[in-house]
Amino acid sequence: MTQTLVPTVADRLRAIVGSDHVITQPDRLVAYESDGLTAYRVAPRAVVLPETTEQVSKVLEVLHGEGIDVIPRGAGTGLSGGALPSSDGVIVGTARMNRILSIDDQNRLATVQPGVINARLTKATEPYGLYYAPDPASQSACTLGGNVAENSGGPHCLKYGVTSRYVTGLTVVMADGEVVRFGGAGLEAAAGLDLVGLFVGSEGCFGIATEIEVRLLPKAEGVRTLLGLFDTMAAAGHAVTDIISSGLMPAAVEIVDHATIVAVEASVFAAGYPTDAGAALVIEFDGTEAGLDDDANRAEQCCLAAGAIEVRRAASEEERIGLWKGRKKAFGAMGRIAPDLLVQDATVPRTRLPEVLARITEIGEEYGLNIANVFHAGDGNLHPNILFDRQNQDELERVERASREIMTLCVSVGGTITGEHGVGIDKRGYMPLVHNEVELEMLRRARWVFDPGGNLNPGKVVQ
Amino acid sequence: MTLVQDLRSALPDVAVRDGLEVATGLRGGAEPELVVSPSSTSEVVEVCAWAGRQGLGVLPVGRGAHVDPVRDGRFIVLETSGLTGIEEYEAADMTITARAGTSFGVVDDALAEHGQWAPFDPPSVRTRSIGGFISAAAHGPLWAGYGALKNHVLGATLVTGDGRILRLGGKVVKNVAGYDLLRPVVGGRGRLGIVTSVCLRAFPKPHHERVLVLSDRSVPELLDAGVALGTAPILPVSIVVSGPLTELDGRSALVVRLHGAESTVDADQATLESHIRAPLDRVHEADSLLDEIRDRGGVESRCVEVSVLPSRLRDVVSAMRNVGFASSVVDSYAGRIRIGSNSLEREAVDALRGAAEGAGGALRVVRWAGDDRPAGTPQREAEAGLSERLESIFDPDGVLWPVRP
Repeated sequence: MTQTLVPTVADRLRAIVGSDHVITQPDRLVAYESDGLTAYRVAPRAVVLPETTEQVSKVLEVLHGEGIDVIPRGAGTGLSGGALPSSDGVIVGTARMNRILSIDDQNRLATVQPGVINARLTKATEPYGLYYAPDPASQSACTLGGNVAENSGGPHCLKYGVTSRYVTGLTVVMADGEVVRFGGAGLEAAAGLDLVGLFVGSEGCFGIATEIEVRLLPKAEGVRTLLGLFDTMAAAGHAVTDIISSGLMPAAVEIVDHATIVAVEASVFAAGYPTDAGAALVIEFDGTEAGLDDDANRAEQCCLAAGAIEVRRAASEEERIGLWKGRKKAFGAMGRIAPDLLVQDATVPRTRLPEVLARITEIGEEYGLNIANVFHAGDGNLHPNILFDRQNQDELERVERASREIMTLCVSVGGTITGEHGVGIDKRGYMPLVHNEVELEMLRRARWVFDPGGNLNPGKVVQ
Repeated sequence: MTLVQDLRSALPDVAVRDGLEVATGLRGGAEPELVVSPSSTSEVVEVCAWAGRQGLGVLPVGRGAHVDPVRDGRFIVLETSGLTGIEEYEAADMTITARAGTSFGVVDDALAEHGQWAPFDPPSVRTRSIGGFISAAAHGPLWAGYGALKNHVLGATLVTGDGRILRLGGKVVKNVAGYDLLRPVVGGRGRLGIVTSVCLRAFPKPHHERVLVLSDRSVPELLDAGVALGTAPILPVSIVVSGPLTELDGRSALVVRLHGAESTVDADQATLESHIRAPLDRVHEADSLLDEIRDRGGVESRCVEVSVLPSRLRDVVSAMRNVGFASSVVDSYAGRIRIGSNSLEREAVDALRGAAEGAGGALRVVRWAGDDRPAGTPQREAEAGLSERLESIFDPDGVLWPVRP
C-alpha cells in the first residue's frame, strides 16, 4: 500500500522546485508506476522534478532528513526495473534537467544535464562534425543520466565501446544532498581512485549525476550497411565469427532470428525481410570512405562462405534505414503479438552463441513460451524477448522460470546475466549466479561507501 | 625466530628471500623485511594473512621497475613474478587471461600468433608484468585510437588486504552485473588489493600501419600542429609531439600513426595534411622510432606526468623551460605530457605543477628517486574521502597501504 507524503514535507519540496513540479495526485502517479520493465508496478508516494543541481541537492537533503527513500528516474526506458518505485519512496525525476550546458569542439567534450536525451546530444554536436557514440536502442527517448546509471551500450558499441568509455567527469548529488565533483577531462593525472568509472553503472544507488561531461568523436565520413540472410541461425553465427576473426572491425553486427523476422514483417514496421529466412544479419562499417567498400566486400564474402542465401547492400541512406528497420523496430513489432514483452539481456562469449541460442529455443518450447531473439552478435550480447500476458499468473511464473534457466545457461558457458540493461530489480535474484557471497557483500559495502543510510534506490542491484 | 624462519614455518611452500635483493624501483628507499614470491592466489591470501598477524605492510610489485621507493615503515614486498603464464586464450572470442606476473611480451607474442594484439603502449611495455601495468593504469599514446587501458580490462582476480578473493568483471566484452569494482582497481596502484590474474580484450592486428612525421619546426609550432590534428575529421590512432629523437637525428617531431587498409590510410593522410596545411613525411621503418617515443620516461629514475585539456597544452609546455622539453613526450590528443629525466629537480616540478593546475590540469609524480619528492595534484577533498572509504572496505586493516609515500 503506497503511503502518502506528509503535507509539510510536500510543501517543503514544492518550495524548492515549484508547486507544479511535485506530483502527489494518484492519477498522475500512475505514469511512474514502472519503467520499461512493465511486469512490476508500484505507485510512489510522490514525484519531484527538480531543474538544477542546487534543487536536487535541497530535495535530497529534505528527503534524507525525513528518512524517505529516493528513486532516481530518467526517461523510464530502463528494462531491468531500475526506476521501479517503492511504495514508501519518492521518485526524483530528471526530465526538467534537459539542458546541454556546453559543447567544446576544440577538446571534443560536452557537458549536459542528466535529462538530455541521448540522440539530442548527437544532433546538437553535428554542426561541429562530432557525435556521441553510445547509441542504446532507445536513444530517441532515453537520457544521458539514465545511460550513466546503467552504463548503457547499443549496436555500435562493438567498435566504439559503452558509456563508461565516454564519461570523463560528473557532478553528483549524494544521498544527503552534498554536491561532489568526480574526475573531469584534463585531471587524469590527479591522485586517487577512478570514482567516475565506479559511479557509471551504479544504477542510481550511489548518487544522482546532475552534470555529465562526455567525450565526443568525429562523425565518420562514410558508412556501408549490409543485410545477410541465412537459412539458419547457426550459419549466421558462423558468419559473425568469421567476420570478426578476419581482422575486420565492423561498427555493428546485429542478428534478428526467424521469429522476430515474422513478427516484424507482419507489423506496420515491415522491412522487406523474407519471412522464410532463419536469421538476418545486419553488418555496418563506418570510417574513411576510401576503405569502406573493401571492408563491405570482405564481409559479404564471409557471409556467402558461411552459407548466406542473399546479401543486400544499402546504396543510399534511405536504403540503410530500410535494412536496419527489421532490427530497430523489432520490439515495437512484438508488442502487437502479446500484451507484454520481457526483453532479457545477457552476454556470452561470441563463439558460444550458436549453442546458447539453440538451447534458448528448447527452453521456450519446454515452458510453452514464445521467445524471439534480437541481439548484438558482435559482442555476444543476447536479448531473448519473451512474449507473455502478465494477467496470466501461470504464464508469468513460467516466464520467470524460463528466464532463470536462460541466465543459468549463459553463466554456465562463461557469460554473465546482463550486458547493458543492468541488474535493477529484475536480475537481483540472479546475482548469486555470477557472484559468491564474499563478492555480493563487497557490492553491499561499496554501496555503503556512497550512501551509508541506504536511502538511494533501495532494493536494487543487491540486497 | 627471525621473520624469514617464521614465514617459512608458517608457509613452507612460498618462495622467500631477504629484503636486500629489492626491486630496482625500490632502491634508495626503506628496505623491506622480506621479499616473497607466491605462486598461486591462495598463497597470496596466506601471505596477506601472515603479514597482518605480524603487523607488516604488504607492498605488491610486478617486475618492480616502475614502483616508487618506500619512505619508511615495516613491510614486505610481494612479488607477482611467481604468478606467470597464460591461463586461457580464446582467439575466436578475442579474450586472453594471464596470471599477473606474466610479462606483457608473453601475452603479446601469444596474440600475435593469431593475428591479434592488445593496443597498449606504456613505456617498456613488453617487459612489464601485466598486473603491474594494470595496477598503474600505465598508458601510452594509442589511447587516442583505442581508448584507455581500463576499457579493455574485462576481468581480474583480486586478493584484498584481509585475504578475500574477489573475481571482478568476467571474460565478456559487455558486463554490468553489479557495480563496477574493477574500475578503481585499474590504476589503484595496489591500494585495493593484489591482482593475481587479468582478462584482457584483444583486437585484430591492423592490416596496415603508417607512421607520419612533421619536423624541422619549433616545438610550439609542432605542438600547435599536433593539437590541430586532434580536431581533424579523422582520428589517428596516436598523435604525439616529442622532444629530440635519436631516430630522427636529434630533431623534435610531431609523429602520427594511422591504422587501416592501405587505401584508408592514403585518404587519411591526405585529410590530415589538408587539415594542417602541411605535408607529413612517411617513415618506412618506424619500429625503432615508435619504441623510442613509447619508452621515453620509462627508464629514468625520475618521471612525472601532466594532464590538461589539449587546448591548454601550449600554456603548460611554455612553462616547461626549467624542466626542458628534451626529455618529454606530449600526447596532444589526450592532453598528456610525460617527462622522464634523471636530473629533474623538485623546484622545476613544483613550478610545472603550478602551471598545470593553473591551466585546469594536474600533475602526477610517477617515480622519484631521492628524498626530495615533490607533491602531485591531490584528489579533491570529497573525492579523497570517498576513496579512503573505498579503500577501507577492500583493506579494512590497512595492510596494503601503510608504507607508500
